[in-house]
Amino acid sequence: MNGVTAIRALAAKSGVWAVYLAVLLLLPQLFDSILAISIFNQMAIAIVFALSYNMLLGQGGMLSFGHAVYFGLGGFLAVHALLMMENEAVYFSIAFIPLIGGLTGLLAGVFVGSFSTRKAGTVFAMISLGIGELVAASSLIFTGFFGGEAGVSGDRTFGPPLFGMDFFSDVDVYYLAAFWVFLSTLFMYLFTQTPAGRMANAVRDNPERAEFIGYSARWVRFISFCASGMFAGVAGGLFALNYEFLTDENLNLVTSGRVLLMAYIGGLGFFIGPIIGAIVLTLMNFLLSNYTELWLLYLGIMFLLTVLFLPRGFAGFIMMHRLAWLRGRLHTLALPYLLTGLPALLFILCVICLLELSHTAEPELHFLGLTLAQDSVLVWTGLLLFATLGWYLTKKSAPGLRRAWEAANEPEADAAQEQFS
Amino acid sequence: MSILSMRNLRKNFGATEIIRGVDLDIESGEIHAIIGPNGAGKSTLFHLISGKYSPTAGSIRFNDRQIENLSPFRINRLGIARSFQVTNIFPRLSVFENIRCALLWSSGYGYSFRHLLNRQRALNEETREVLEKIGLAGKAQIPAGEIAYSEQRALELGMAIAGGAELILLDEPVAGMSHSEADNAVRLIRRITEGKTLVMVEHDMNIVFDLADRISVLVYGKVIACGAPAEIRANAQVQEAYLGEAQAHA
Repeated sequence: MNGVTAIRALAAKSGVWAVYLAVLLLLPQLFDSILAISIFNQMAIAIVFALSYNMLLGQGGMLSFGHAVYFGLGGFLAVHALLMMENEAVYFSIAFIPLIGGLTGLLAGVFVGSFSTRKAGTVFAMISLGIGELVAASSLIFTGFFGGEAGVSGDRTFGPPLFGMDFFSDVDVYYLAAFWVFLSTLFMYLFTQTPAGRMANAVRDNPERAEFIGYSARWVRFISFCASGMFAGVAGGLFALNYEFLTDENLNLVTSGRVLLMAYIGGLGFFIGPIIGAIVLTLMNFLLSNYTELWLLYLGIMFLLTVLFLPRGFAGFIMMHRLAWLRGRLHTLALPYLLTGLPALLFILCVICLLELSHTAEPELHFLGLTLAQDSVLVWTGLLLFATLGWYLTKKSAPGLRRAWEAANEPEADAAQEQFS
Repeated sequence: MSILSMRNLRKNFGATEIIRGVDLDIESGEIHAIIGPNGAGKSTLFHLISGKYSPTAGSIRFNDRQIENLSPFRINRLGIARSFQVTNIFPRLSVFENIRCALLWSSGYGYSFRHLLNRQRALNEETREVLEKIGLAGKAQIPAGEIAYSEQRALELGMAIAGGAELILLDEPVAGMSHSEADNAVRLIRRITEGKTLVMVEHDMNIVFDLADRISVLVYGKVIACGAPAEIRANAQVQEAYLGEAQAHA
């Protein structure tokens, strides 16, 4: 690579980071409702947490079922720090609270990692599950520290103000969180570019070979594990600042499962994947949980569909189109996508209606401007009919989409001819 | 003077003794081939030297250092690198990353998380040089799992030599290749292992007698003969145990 292209590549990369920073800073200007800010804060926490999880699974090949441990412990320590500030035992800016979370996560990572990273695969997954259960159970036993089922709450407003922010409002917390999200994302990205980060990929791919080029697979895993625990702790610290309240739920298996879903649905193979997953799932959580009690069911179905049809997640789905885009043929896919997508949408909507209809306690279901009576045979058969129709049309148009896909990704016709001549 | 010496080396798997008292000296700078019928323990011997297995008894000395109980990465750091019979690479990393990873430890980066790899000019230059040598410069950015088999074998070789190890162990480097591919591979091996000590396991007798300075014949876990190609060819015991059989098969 010569100097000019190197500078260009660097400029392109810093461009992405500048856009990221700008979006983070502009979001609360564009959407300034209390609800929007509260969603953004949740997203910020989820992004750091999901990225930290991907250091383990996507980059290091370690499937963890207990990542909430580092998130939760970081959060609890952070809340205790807030309490100490309230009791005037210490006095510092709460901007440093995520650092306390990170340090806690790092220490917990060092301790657990010292024995859990010996092996990857099933052994690692089982140890993570065991530790997850153990810490979750302990959180209900050691009530002095964890506050039992009631949890521990603090108050973030006792510290000195920072740049005129007193942290009474969520917007102040958002800007602080945005700073930490940006910093954490940047450092986690840079980590992937270092020898330790690259060897994590190598060990994920083939731990045996890594040992024969001079690296201890265990030590490589341990370093990733500690770094991952640290960033999970930062996310926990942000959580403590945002909610001022932690319970056992923040370090139990439900939270561990949720971060796995976020990273997986977003796409493990891409750095940006967990960010997408965190945003999508946080939005879904907010939007759907207000409308339906079935939203966890939908989340489960979405996870299943992702595993089955988009194994590389949303990010993988987006990146799949790179080749067609480079060849200037992305537009040829629009119509086939529509032809398959619309019937699929019809099918999905009908299934949702059927599910909601069988679940609802009301005599009528209001959905997309329609009023559907629960006891009407016509409604049920109509929905079943439309669902079948949607399914049939989706199936029927799928081969056309596949053909269009292949045509869009084919190498240039003249280039192919050159090969034969 | 010998760079690697094995004394009374033994390896059992349960009740089965695979290596049954091997005494072998590898001279510095030589190309040493280990031949023998299937199941003679050739690969096991490589696994013992490179630390994948630890011996049941006996000793292995490398440059006057006991290495028989060290783990693979420590042995590698001392200067022994190896390739594998079955292609053993990092399939999801690019060809370039595969070679660069193989260079990292010997270039002194260790487990650093302070250096950004793309900024390490000397390291990247060296990676490109290795890629040129093994003829994969044109495939640098392709995931290693997606290149052709013979190219993966070349990559495997490249990873073995990249770290600048003194002693290189090649386990059937041309297995599964066509004649022309094998010829290319032999030329490649000659070129990239110049000035190094090379121990190889190989089934193709043409290649063995062409490349090797000395040959050891391993039969049922024992070295039954060791010497220059001409001596081995003339050895009656070897004829009976192995070469005659191999020729009968051919």
